[in-house]
Amino acid sequence: MPGDDGTPHWRGTLLHIHVAQAASYEMEPLDEATLIAGRGIEGDRYCLGTGTYSKLPAVRDVTLIEIEVLEALARNDPPLQDAPLLIDPGQHRRNLTVRGVPLAHLVGVRFRIGEAVLRGARLSFPCRYLEQLLGRPVYQPLYNRSGINCAIEQGGRIRVGDRIEPL
Amino acid sequence: MTPRLIMKLEVSAVADAAPGVRVLTFRHRLRPTLPKPEPGAHVDLHLPDGRVRQYSLCGDPADATRYTIAVKLEPEGRGGSRWVHQQLQPGAVVPVSAPRNNFRLAEGARQHVLVAGGIGITPIAAMARHLARCGEAFELHYCVRDEASAPLLPELRAACGTRLHLWRSGGDVPSRFDPHRLSPLPQPGTHLYCCGPHRLVDAVLAASAGWPAGSVHVEHFAPLYDAGFVPEAFQLGIASTGATLEVPAGRSALDVLREHGFMHPSSCGIGVCGACECGYRVADGSTVIHRDVAIDDTARVHRMTPCVSRARGRVLLDL
Repeated sequence: MPGDDGTPHWRGTLLHIHVAQAASYEMEPLDEATLIAGRGIEGDRYCLGTGTYSKLPAVRDVTLIEIEVLEALARNDPPLQDAPLLIDPGQHRRNLTVRGVPLAHLVGVRFRIGEAVLRGARLSFPCRYLEQLLGRPVYQPLYNRSGINCAIEQGGRIRVGDRIEPL
Repeated sequence: MTPRLIMKLEVSAVADAAPGVRVLTFRHRLRPTLPKPEPGAHVDLHLPDGRVRQYSLCGDPADATRYTIAVKLEPEGRGGSRWVHQQLQPGAVVPVSAPRNNFRLAEGARQHVLVAGGIGITPIAAMARHLARCGEAFELHYCVRDEASAPLLPELRAACGTRLHLWRSGGDVPSRFDPHRLSPLPQPGTHLYCCGPHRLVDAVLAASAGWPAGSVHVEHFAPLYDAGFVPEAFQLGIASTGATLEVPAGRSALDVLREHGFMHPSSCGIGVCGACECGYRVADGSTVIHRDVAIDDTARVHRMTPCVSRARGRVLLDL
Protein backbone atom coordinates (compact mmCIF):
# COMPACT_ATOMS: atom_id res chain seq x y z
CA MET A 1 0.00 0.00 0.00
CA PRO A 2 2.14 2.85 -1.28
CA GLY A 3 1.65 6.47 -0.35
CA ASP A 4 1.35 9.24 -2.90
CA ASP A 5 5.11 9.11 -3.46
CA GLY A 6 5.05 5.33 -4.03
CA THR A 7 6.67 4.52 -0.67
CA PRO A 8 4.90 1.89 1.43
CA HIS A 9 3.67 3.58 4.58
CA TRP A 10 2.32 1.18 7.10
CA ARG A 11 3.60 0.52 10.56
CA GLY A 12 2.66 -2.44 12.70
CA THR A 13 3.33 -4.00 16.08
CA LEU A 14 4.48 -7.43 17.18
CA LEU A 15 1.87 -8.67 19.68
CA HIS A 16 2.82 -12.29 20.38
CA ILE A 17 5.73 -14.68 19.78
CA HIS A 18 5.01 -18.42 19.87
CA VAL A 19 7.24 -21.42 19.24
CA ALA A 20 6.86 -25.20 19.48
CA GLN A 21 9.71 -27.67 19.71
CA ALA A 22 8.20 -30.21 17.33
CA ALA A 23 5.12 -31.07 15.30
CA SER A 24 1.94 -31.29 17.39
CA TYR A 25 3.60 -29.71 20.43
CA GLU A 26 1.58 -26.97 22.03
CA MET A 27 2.82 -23.50 21.07
CA GLU A 28 4.63 -21.73 23.89
CA PRO A 29 4.56 -17.96 24.34
CA LEU A 30 7.82 -16.00 24.51
CA ASP A 31 8.43 -12.36 25.44
CA GLU A 32 11.44 -12.25 23.19
CA ALA A 33 13.19 -14.55 20.75
CA THR A 34 16.23 -14.89 18.53
CA LEU A 35 15.73 -15.14 14.78
CA ILE A 36 18.41 -17.02 12.89
CA ALA A 37 18.92 -16.00 9.26
CA GLY A 38 17.81 -18.62 6.76
CA ARG A 39 16.60 -20.99 9.48
CA GLY A 40 13.95 -19.87 11.91
CA ILE A 41 13.22 -18.88 15.48
CA GLU A 42 15.55 -20.39 18.03
CA GLY A 43 13.70 -23.28 19.69
CA ASP A 44 10.98 -23.53 17.04
CA ARG A 45 10.22 -26.67 15.08
CA TYR A 46 11.03 -25.11 11.72
CA CYS A 47 14.44 -24.03 13.00
CA LEU A 48 15.03 -27.51 14.46
CA GLY A 49 13.72 -29.42 11.44
CA THR A 50 11.03 -31.15 13.52
CA GLY A 51 7.93 -29.51 12.02
CA THR A 52 5.13 -31.26 10.19
CA TYR A 53 6.28 -29.66 6.93
CA SER A 54 10.01 -29.49 7.65
CA LYS A 55 10.82 -31.88 4.81
CA LEU A 56 9.00 -29.76 2.23
CA PRO A 57 11.05 -27.31 0.22
CA ALA A 58 8.98 -24.13 0.74
CA VAL A 59 10.39 -21.31 2.86
CA ARG A 60 8.92 -21.31 6.35
CA ASP A 61 11.59 -19.80 8.57
CA VAL A 62 8.91 -17.88 10.42
CA THR A 63 5.15 -17.49 9.98
CA LEU A 64 3.00 -14.44 10.73
CA ILE A 65 -0.72 -13.91 11.12
CA GLU A 66 -2.78 -10.76 11.65
CA ILE A 67 -4.64 -10.23 14.90
CA GLU A 68 -7.23 -8.49 12.73
CA VAL A 69 -8.10 -11.91 11.23
CA LEU A 70 -8.57 -13.45 14.67
CA GLU A 71 -10.74 -10.51 15.65
CA ALA A 72 -12.84 -10.92 12.51
CA LEU A 73 -13.31 -14.63 13.28
CA ALA A 74 -14.35 -13.71 16.80
CA ARG A 75 -17.03 -11.46 15.27
CA ASN A 76 -17.93 -14.20 12.78
CA ASP A 77 -17.14 -11.74 10.01
CA PRO A 78 -17.94 -12.76 7.33
CA PRO A 79 -20.52 -15.18 8.76
CA LEU A 80 -18.84 -18.36 7.54
CA GLN A 81 -19.79 -20.50 10.51
CA ASP A 82 -22.69 -20.80 12.91
CA ALA A 83 -21.07 -18.84 15.69
CA PRO A 84 -18.07 -16.62 16.43
CA LEU A 85 -14.82 -18.55 16.30
CA LEU A 86 -12.43 -17.78 19.13
CA ILE A 87 -8.82 -18.68 18.36
CA ASP A 88 -6.22 -17.70 20.95
CA PRO A 89 -2.86 -16.48 19.64
CA GLY A 90 -1.30 -19.68 21.00
CA GLN A 91 -3.64 -21.89 19.01
CA HIS A 92 -3.26 -20.86 15.38
CA ARG A 93 0.35 -22.21 15.23
CA ARG A 94 1.80 -19.21 13.41
CA ASN A 95 4.90 -17.86 15.16
CA LEU A 96 4.17 -14.15 15.23
CA THR A 97 0.83 -12.44 15.77
CA VAL A 98 0.93 -8.87 14.50
CA ARG A 99 -1.31 -5.80 14.28
CA GLY A 100 -1.33 -3.25 11.53
CA VAL A 101 0.75 -5.27 9.07
CA PRO A 102 -0.82 -5.89 5.61
CA LEU A 103 0.47 -9.43 5.26
CA ALA A 104 -1.25 -10.09 1.93
CA HIS A 105 0.87 -7.30 0.42
CA LEU A 106 4.18 -8.59 1.68
CA VAL A 107 5.04 -11.37 -0.77
CA GLY A 108 8.51 -10.45 -2.00
CA VAL A 109 8.67 -7.45 0.34
CA ARG A 110 11.40 -6.89 2.94
CA PHE A 111 10.41 -5.57 6.33
CA ARG A 112 11.95 -5.12 9.74
CA ILE A 113 10.90 -6.53 13.13
CA GLY A 114 13.15 -5.50 16.00
CA GLU A 115 16.70 -6.31 14.97
CA ALA A 116 15.63 -8.76 12.27
CA VAL A 117 14.82 -8.35 8.59
CA LEU A 118 12.23 -10.65 7.01
CA ARG A 119 11.14 -11.15 3.43
CA GLY A 120 7.62 -12.27 2.62
CA ALA A 121 7.88 -15.62 0.78
CA ARG A 122 4.38 -16.95 0.15
CA LEU A 123 0.97 -16.65 1.70
CA SER A 124 0.22 -19.42 4.16
CA PHE A 125 -2.49 -21.93 3.52
CA PRO A 126 -4.85 -23.16 6.22
CA CYS A 127 -4.43 -26.84 7.04
CA ARG A 128 -6.62 -29.70 8.12
CA TYR A 129 -3.86 -30.64 10.50
CA LEU A 130 -4.62 -27.55 12.60
CA GLU A 131 -8.31 -28.35 12.44
CA GLN A 132 -7.59 -31.83 13.80
CA LEU A 133 -5.26 -30.58 16.53
CA LEU A 134 -7.80 -28.05 17.74
CA GLY A 135 -10.77 -30.31 17.16
CA ARG A 136 -12.56 -27.29 15.68
CA PRO A 137 -13.54 -26.38 12.10
CA VAL A 138 -11.05 -23.60 11.40
CA TYR A 139 -10.02 -24.57 7.88
CA GLN A 140 -12.58 -22.70 5.84
CA PRO A 141 -12.75 -19.60 8.09
CA LEU A 142 -8.98 -19.13 7.66
CA TYR A 143 -9.06 -19.53 3.90
CA ASN A 144 -7.21 -16.65 2.17
CA ARG A 145 -6.35 -15.05 5.50
CA SER A 146 -4.07 -17.60 7.08
CA GLY A 147 -0.94 -15.46 7.31
CA ILE A 148 2.37 -15.53 5.48
CA ASN A 149 5.55 -17.61 5.44
CA CYS A 150 8.69 -15.49 5.61
CA ALA A 151 12.40 -15.92 5.11
CA ILE A 152 14.73 -14.44 7.71
CA GLU A 153 17.23 -12.34 5.74
CA GLN A 154 18.91 -10.85 8.78
CA GLY A 155 18.75 -12.51 12.17
CA GLY A 156 18.51 -10.81 15.54
CA ARG A 157 16.43 -10.34 18.66
CA ILE A 158 12.74 -9.57 18.49
CA ARG A 159 10.50 -8.63 21.41
CA VAL A 160 6.79 -8.41 21.98
CA GLY A 161 5.87 -4.78 21.34
CA ASP A 162 8.51 -4.31 18.63
CA ARG A 163 7.62 -2.02 15.74
CA ILE A 164 7.25 -3.67 12.31
CA GLU A 165 7.88 -1.54 9.22
CA PRO A 166 8.69 -1.94 5.54
CA LEU A 167 12.18 -1.43 4.17
CA MET B 1 -6.03 -41.09 12.98
CA THR B 2 -6.08 -37.49 13.98
CA PRO B 3 -3.01 -35.76 15.39
CA ARG B 4 -3.24 -34.69 18.99
CA LEU B 5 -1.82 -31.68 20.73
CA ILE B 6 1.25 -32.53 22.82
CA MET B 7 1.53 -30.48 26.00
CA LYS B 8 4.53 -30.17 28.27
CA LEU B 9 2.97 -31.09 31.61
CA GLU B 10 4.57 -30.92 35.01
CA VAL B 11 4.44 -33.81 37.44
CA SER B 12 2.71 -32.22 40.43
CA ALA B 13 2.47 -35.27 42.68
CA VAL B 14 3.83 -38.81 42.88
CA ALA B 15 2.48 -41.41 45.29
CA ASP B 16 2.72 -45.16 45.71
CA ALA B 17 -0.79 -46.56 45.43
CA ALA B 18 0.10 -50.23 45.91
CA PRO B 19 3.30 -52.26 45.79
CA GLY B 20 4.86 -51.52 42.39
CA VAL B 21 2.11 -49.11 41.38
CA ARG B 22 2.80 -45.40 41.26
CA VAL B 23 0.15 -42.72 40.82
CA LEU B 24 1.29 -39.57 39.04
CA THR B 25 -0.57 -36.31 38.74
CA PHE B 26 0.15 -33.82 35.95
CA ARG B 27 -0.71 -30.15 35.64
CA HIS B 28 -0.17 -27.60 32.91
CA ARG B 29 2.64 -25.20 33.73
CA LEU B 30 0.95 -22.16 32.21
CA ARG B 31 -2.79 -22.81 32.15
CA PRO B 32 -5.24 -23.75 34.90
CA THR B 33 -7.10 -26.33 32.82
CA LEU B 34 -6.34 -29.15 30.41
CA PRO B 35 -8.44 -30.57 27.56
CA LYS B 36 -11.33 -32.27 29.32
CA PRO B 37 -11.01 -36.05 29.15
CA GLU B 38 -13.90 -38.44 28.58
CA PRO B 39 -14.25 -41.36 30.99
CA GLY B 40 -12.11 -44.24 29.65
CA ALA B 41 -9.65 -41.98 27.77
CA HIS B 42 -5.89 -42.40 27.71
CA VAL B 43 -2.96 -40.07 27.11
CA ASP B 44 0.41 -40.69 25.46
CA LEU B 45 3.58 -40.08 27.43
CA HIS B 46 6.50 -39.20 25.16
CA LEU B 47 9.72 -40.66 26.53
CA PRO B 48 13.03 -38.84 25.97
CA ASP B 49 14.23 -41.52 23.53
CA GLY B 50 11.21 -41.01 21.27
CA ARG B 51 9.17 -43.95 22.49
CA VAL B 52 5.53 -43.30 23.29
CA ARG B 53 3.50 -45.07 25.95
CA GLN B 54 -0.24 -45.02 26.52
CA TYR B 55 -1.70 -44.71 30.01
CA SER B 56 -5.38 -44.49 30.90
CA LEU B 57 -6.51 -41.53 32.93
CA CYS B 58 -7.79 -42.81 36.26
CA GLY B 59 -8.75 -39.54 37.96
CA ASP B 60 -12.09 -37.81 38.04
CA PRO B 61 -12.92 -36.91 34.40
CA ALA B 62 -14.81 -33.84 35.65
CA ASP B 63 -11.60 -32.36 37.06
CA ALA B 64 -9.84 -30.72 34.11
CA THR B 65 -7.18 -29.10 36.31
CA ARG B 66 -5.10 -32.27 36.37
CA TYR B 67 -4.52 -35.65 34.76
CA THR B 68 -3.86 -38.70 36.91
CA ILE B 69 -2.34 -41.98 35.75
CA ALA B 70 -1.38 -45.11 37.66
CA VAL B 71 1.64 -47.01 36.34
CA LYS B 72 2.54 -50.53 37.34
CA LEU B 73 6.24 -51.31 37.26
CA GLU B 74 6.85 -54.05 34.71
CA PRO B 75 10.49 -55.06 35.30
CA GLU B 76 10.42 -57.32 32.25
CA GLY B 77 8.45 -54.86 30.11
CA ARG B 78 9.65 -52.70 27.26
CA GLY B 79 10.99 -49.98 29.58
CA GLY B 80 8.21 -47.40 29.73
CA SER B 81 7.12 -48.20 33.27
CA ARG B 82 10.72 -48.38 34.47
CA TRP B 83 11.34 -44.92 33.13
CA VAL B 84 8.19 -43.58 34.77
CA HIS B 85 9.08 -45.14 38.13
CA GLN B 86 12.73 -44.14 38.08
CA GLN B 87 12.69 -40.73 36.46
CA LEU B 88 9.42 -38.99 37.18
CA GLN B 89 9.48 -36.92 40.35
CA PRO B 90 7.45 -33.82 41.21
CA GLY B 91 8.62 -30.94 39.05
CA ALA B 92 9.61 -33.12 36.09
CA VAL B 93 8.23 -31.89 32.77
CA VAL B 94 6.94 -34.52 30.35
CA PRO B 95 5.39 -34.24 26.88
CA VAL B 96 1.85 -35.59 27.26
CA SER B 97 -0.73 -35.74 24.49
CA ALA B 98 -4.28 -34.52 24.73
CA PRO B 99 -6.56 -37.43 25.71
CA ARG B 100 -7.98 -39.88 23.19
CA ASN B 101 -10.77 -42.30 23.94
CA ASN B 102 -10.97 -45.80 22.47
CA PHE B 103 -12.98 -47.14 25.42
CA ARG B 104 -16.15 -45.09 25.66
CA LEU B 105 -19.14 -45.49 27.92
CA ALA B 106 -22.14 -46.31 25.76
CA GLU B 107 -24.54 -43.43 25.36
CA GLY B 108 -28.08 -44.10 26.44
CA ALA B 109 -27.21 -47.30 28.33
CA ARG B 110 -29.53 -48.18 31.20
CA GLN B 111 -27.04 -50.19 33.19
CA HIS B 112 -23.25 -50.44 33.12
CA VAL B 113 -21.30 -53.47 34.34
CA LEU B 114 -17.62 -52.65 34.85
CA VAL B 115 -15.05 -55.44 35.30
CA ALA B 116 -11.40 -54.62 36.07
CA GLY B 117 -8.41 -56.77 36.92
CA GLY B 118 -5.36 -55.32 38.68
CA ILE B 119 -3.89 -52.27 36.96
CA GLY B 120 -6.72 -52.57 34.41
CA ILE B 121 -8.69 -50.59 36.97
CA THR B 122 -7.32 -47.31 35.58
CA PRO B 123 -9.83 -46.53 32.79
CA ILE B 124 -12.58 -48.31 34.71
CA ALA B 125 -11.95 -46.05 37.74
CA ALA B 126 -12.57 -42.94 35.64
CA MET B 127 -15.75 -44.53 34.27
CA ALA B 128 -16.97 -45.48 37.74
CA ARG B 129 -16.37 -42.01 39.13
CA HIS B 130 -18.28 -40.49 36.22
CA LEU B 131 -21.21 -42.90 36.51
CA ALA B 132 -21.39 -42.40 40.27
CA ARG B 133 -21.49 -38.62 39.90
CA CYS B 134 -24.14 -38.77 37.19
CA GLY B 135 -26.29 -41.09 39.30
CA GLU B 136 -26.30 -43.78 36.62
CA ALA B 137 -26.93 -47.44 37.35
CA PHE B 138 -23.69 -49.43 37.46
CA GLU B 139 -21.77 -52.11 39.27
CA LEU B 140 -18.00 -52.39 39.47
CA HIS B 141 -16.27 -55.76 39.83
CA TYR B 142 -12.65 -55.24 40.83
CA CYS B 143 -10.46 -58.36 40.71
CA VAL B 144 -7.28 -58.18 42.77
CA ARG B 145 -4.85 -60.48 44.55
CA ASP B 146 -5.60 -58.87 47.89
CA GLU B 147 -6.64 -55.47 49.20
CA ALA B 148 -3.08 -54.32 49.78
CA SER B 149 -2.24 -54.79 46.09
CA ALA B 150 -5.37 -53.01 44.81
CA PRO B 151 -4.53 -49.53 43.47
CA LEU B 152 -7.13 -46.77 43.90
CA LEU B 153 -9.23 -48.90 46.25
CA PRO B 154 -9.93 -46.22 48.92
CA GLU B 155 -11.04 -43.68 46.30
CA LEU B 156 -13.23 -46.22 44.56
CA ARG B 157 -14.86 -47.30 47.81
CA ALA B 158 -15.66 -43.67 48.55
CA ALA B 159 -17.03 -43.03 45.05
CA CYS B 160 -18.91 -46.29 44.50
CA GLY B 161 -20.04 -47.48 47.94
CA THR B 162 -21.91 -50.75 47.71
CA ARG B 163 -21.70 -50.78 43.91
CA LEU B 164 -18.05 -51.82 44.27
CA HIS B 165 -17.55 -55.57 44.49
CA LEU B 166 -14.02 -56.57 45.42
CA TRP B 167 -12.89 -60.05 44.35
CA ARG B 168 -9.68 -61.53 45.78
CA SER B 169 -7.64 -64.33 44.24
CA GLY B 170 -5.31 -64.61 47.25
CA GLY B 171 -5.44 -64.36 51.01
CA ASP B 172 -6.95 -66.74 53.52
CA VAL B 173 -10.39 -66.74 51.98
CA PRO B 174 -10.17 -66.20 48.21
CA SER B 175 -13.30 -64.92 46.50
CA ARG B 176 -12.62 -65.09 42.80
CA PHE B 177 -14.79 -63.27 40.28
CA ASP B 178 -16.72 -65.78 38.22
CA PRO B 179 -17.56 -64.33 34.80
CA HIS B 180 -20.42 -66.79 34.56
CA ARG B 181 -22.25 -64.80 37.19
CA LEU B 182 -22.80 -62.30 34.37
CA SER B 183 -26.25 -62.87 33.01
CA PRO B 184 -26.09 -64.83 29.73
CA LEU B 185 -28.93 -62.65 28.45
CA PRO B 186 -28.78 -59.22 30.09
CA GLN B 187 -31.57 -56.72 30.48
CA PRO B 188 -31.93 -54.54 27.38
CA GLY B 189 -29.64 -51.50 27.57
CA THR B 190 -26.97 -53.19 29.69
CA HIS B 191 -23.39 -52.58 28.64
CA LEU B 192 -20.34 -54.51 29.82
CA TYR B 193 -16.80 -53.07 30.02
CA CYS B 194 -13.68 -55.03 30.85
CA CYS B 195 -10.03 -54.11 31.25
CA GLY B 196 -7.31 -56.28 32.74
CA PRO B 197 -5.12 -59.30 32.07
CA HIS B 198 -5.89 -61.35 28.97
CA ARG B 199 -7.16 -64.28 31.02
CA LEU B 200 -9.80 -62.12 32.65
CA VAL B 201 -10.73 -60.38 29.40
CA ASP B 202 -11.01 -63.69 27.56
CA ALA B 203 -13.16 -65.20 30.30
CA VAL B 204 -15.47 -62.19 30.34
CA LEU B 205 -15.73 -62.21 26.53
CA ALA B 206 -16.55 -65.92 26.57
CA ALA B 207 -19.17 -65.51 29.27
CA SER B 208 -20.81 -62.62 27.44
CA ALA B 209 -20.71 -64.23 23.98
CA GLY B 210 -24.49 -64.18 23.81
CA TRP B 211 -24.83 -60.49 24.62
CA PRO B 212 -26.20 -58.21 21.89
CA ALA B 213 -23.65 -56.92 19.35
CA GLY B 214 -21.99 -53.73 20.50
CA SER B 215 -22.83 -54.14 24.18
CA VAL B 216 -19.47 -55.58 25.27
CA HIS B 217 -16.44 -53.26 25.37
CA VAL B 218 -12.87 -54.24 26.17
CA GLU B 219 -9.68 -52.18 26.47
CA HIS B 220 -6.48 -53.86 25.38
CA PHE B 221 -3.20 -52.84 26.96
CA ALA B 222 -1.07 -55.35 25.13
CA PRO B 223 -1.12 -56.34 21.49
CA LEU B 224 -2.85 -59.45 20.25
CA TYR B 225 -1.04 -62.46 21.53
CA ASP B 226 -1.42 -64.97 18.73
CA ALA B 227 1.79 -66.75 19.64
CA GLY B 228 1.50 -69.13 16.70
CA PHE B 229 1.46 -66.39 14.07
CA VAL B 230 4.23 -66.81 11.51
CA PRO B 231 4.83 -63.61 9.52
CA GLU B 232 5.42 -63.93 5.79
CA ALA B 233 6.97 -61.56 3.28
CA PHE B 234 4.55 -59.47 1.25
CA GLN B 235 4.46 -56.49 -1.10
CA LEU B 236 3.41 -52.92 -0.28
CA GLY B 237 2.18 -50.77 -3.13
CA ILE B 238 2.20 -46.97 -2.80
CA ALA B 239 -0.90 -45.48 -4.41
CA SER B 240 0.57 -42.03 -5.12
CA THR B 241 3.71 -43.21 -6.88
CA GLY B 242 2.93 -46.71 -8.05
CA ALA B 243 6.09 -47.94 -6.31
CA THR B 244 6.24 -51.42 -4.82
CA LEU B 245 8.16 -52.08 -1.61
CA GLU B 246 9.12 -55.54 -0.39
CA VAL B 247 8.33 -56.27 3.26
CA PRO B 248 10.46 -59.17 4.49
CA ALA B 249 8.97 -61.65 6.95
CA GLY B 250 11.03 -60.28 9.81
CA ARG B 251 10.14 -56.60 9.44
CA SER B 252 7.02 -54.48 9.78
CA ALA B 253 5.43 -52.57 6.93
CA LEU B 254 5.94 -49.41 8.99
CA ASP B 255 9.69 -50.07 9.20
CA VAL B 256 9.88 -50.50 5.46
CA LEU B 257 7.88 -47.31 4.88
CA ARG B 258 10.24 -45.40 7.18
CA GLU B 259 13.27 -46.79 5.38
CA HIS B 260 11.84 -45.41 2.15
CA GLY B 261 11.34 -41.94 3.57
CA PHE B 262 7.67 -42.00 4.50
CA MET B 263 7.14 -39.84 7.59
CA HIS B 264 4.05 -41.80 8.50
CA PRO B 265 2.71 -41.02 11.99
CA SER B 266 2.97 -43.79 14.53
CA SER B 267 2.95 -44.10 18.26
CA CYS B 268 2.74 -47.39 20.14
CA GLY B 269 4.17 -49.66 17.44
CA ILE B 270 2.17 -52.62 18.74
CA GLY B 271 -1.21 -52.15 17.07
CA VAL B 272 -2.97 -50.60 20.02
CA CYS B 273 -3.14 -46.85 19.50
CA GLY B 274 -4.15 -46.56 15.85
CA ALA B 275 -1.84 -43.63 15.11
CA CYS B 276 -0.40 -45.25 11.97
CA GLU B 277 -3.81 -46.27 10.60
CA CYS B 278 -3.90 -46.01 6.83
CA GLY B 279 -6.32 -46.65 3.97
CA TYR B 280 -5.64 -49.62 1.70
CA ARG B 281 -6.91 -51.64 -1.25
CA VAL B 282 -6.14 -55.20 -2.25
CA ALA B 283 -6.46 -57.00 -5.54
CA ASP B 284 -8.22 -60.33 -5.85
CA GLY B 285 -6.19 -63.10 -4.32
CA SER B 286 -4.45 -60.84 -1.80
CA THR B 287 -5.60 -60.29 1.77
CA VAL B 288 -4.70 -58.07 4.67
CA ILE B 289 -3.92 -59.81 7.95
CA HIS B 290 -5.14 -57.45 10.66
CA ARG B 291 -3.15 -57.89 13.85
CA ASP B 292 -4.07 -54.69 15.69
CA VAL B 293 -6.73 -53.98 18.25
CA ALA B 294 -7.22 -50.37 17.15
CA ILE B 295 -9.48 -50.64 14.11
CA ASP B 296 -12.99 -52.02 14.38
CA ASP B 297 -14.35 -54.66 12.06
CA THR B 298 -16.32 -52.28 9.86
CA ALA B 299 -13.29 -50.05 9.22
CA ARG B 300 -10.97 -53.00 8.62
CA VAL B 301 -12.46 -53.41 5.20
CA HIS B 302 -10.45 -50.37 4.07
CA ARG B 303 -8.14 -49.34 6.93
CA MET B 304 -5.08 -51.11 8.35
CA THR B 305 -2.21 -50.44 10.79
CA PRO B 306 1.18 -50.94 9.10
CA CYS B 307 2.97 -51.25 12.46
CA VAL B 308 1.68 -54.80 13.07
CA SER B 309 -0.74 -55.72 10.32
CA ARG B 310 0.54 -57.58 7.30
CA ALA B 311 -0.72 -58.98 4.04
CA ARG B 312 -0.62 -62.06 1.92
CA GLY B 313 0.27 -61.04 -1.62
CA ARG B 314 0.20 -57.31 -2.32
CA VAL B 315 -1.57 -54.47 -0.53
CA LEU B 316 -1.87 -50.96 -1.99
CA LEU B 317 -1.61 -48.25 0.66
CA ASP B 318 -3.27 -44.85 0.21
CA LEU B 319 -0.01 -42.99 0.65
